[in-house]
Amino acid sequence: MVPEMGYLDEQFNQLEELQDESSPNFVEEVVALFLKDSPRLLSNIEQTIGKYPQDFYRLDSLVHQLKGSGSSIGAVRMKNECSVFKAHCNDRNLEGCRRSLQKMKREHATLKQKLESYFQLLRQVGPREHAVNSRK
Amino acid sequence: RRRIRVLLVEDEEIHRVVARAVLRAAGVEADEAENGAEAVRRVRERVGGAGAGAYDLILTDKQMPIMDGHEATRQIRAMGVTTTIVAVSSDSLPSDVQAFIAAGADDFTPKVHAGPSNPPDQSCFTPE
Repeated sequence: MVPEMGYLDEQFNQLEELQDESSPNFVEEVVALFLKDSPRLLSNIEQTIGKYPQDFYRLDSLVHQLKGSGSSIGAVRMKNECSVFKAHCNDRNLEGCRRSLQKMKREHATLKQKLESYFQLLRQVGPREHAVNSRK
Repeated sequence: RRRIRVLLVEDEEIHRVVARAVLRAAGVEADEAENGAEAVRRVRERVGGAGAGAYDLILTDKQMPIMDGHEATRQIRAMGVTTTIVAVSSDSLPSDVQAFIAAGADDFTPKVHAGPSNPPDQSCFTPE
């Protein structure tokens, strides 16, 4: 998948290189794990932001997990926004954390849509070895 | 040629799945532990009387439930185990690196994910 508008970085290509006959759905499986983890983490972050007194340690821990999970699939925009969020945690800037969370949620929704479309297209196209070579 | 014996210590499933694939691509089938306590138990079993011998390499995350990577490293070293331990963590501040080295790790690598065209540096350990 060509990194589209900077949503995915080289890590995604690395995952594709790891896919082979023994693990033909490897990339989709890793992405599925990300899409399973990330909504829960975003929800936990939102709940934690709403609590008083603020628990910036827990917020940092949650966004650390989200950043790691996103990095695994090359979700560069999400990873960068997580770094922004962590900086706000470090500064104990709750409003900054709130703004950053909204950005992360938007990035996540867009990324999820693009990934789901990508894998749907792959399933429609079928395995690479069945592709027609018009030069033959 | 003997297969190298690796223990992967990582609590997050997504990271275990990716690491497993990277190691497999390098011809390595690793044992896995989901937290530091399980890692310590596995190492103790391997070096025990009926054990299969020490691991050649332990790759460990930092933040894990029950027991983190620092404490697991300390306990493994306290057993007298000299297996190469490489900390693999997204937290790569100098203080994070120093903390792991102080606990007894041999090396630290950031969790920038490796793949077939970016293989992990294996120069930090030498299997017997």
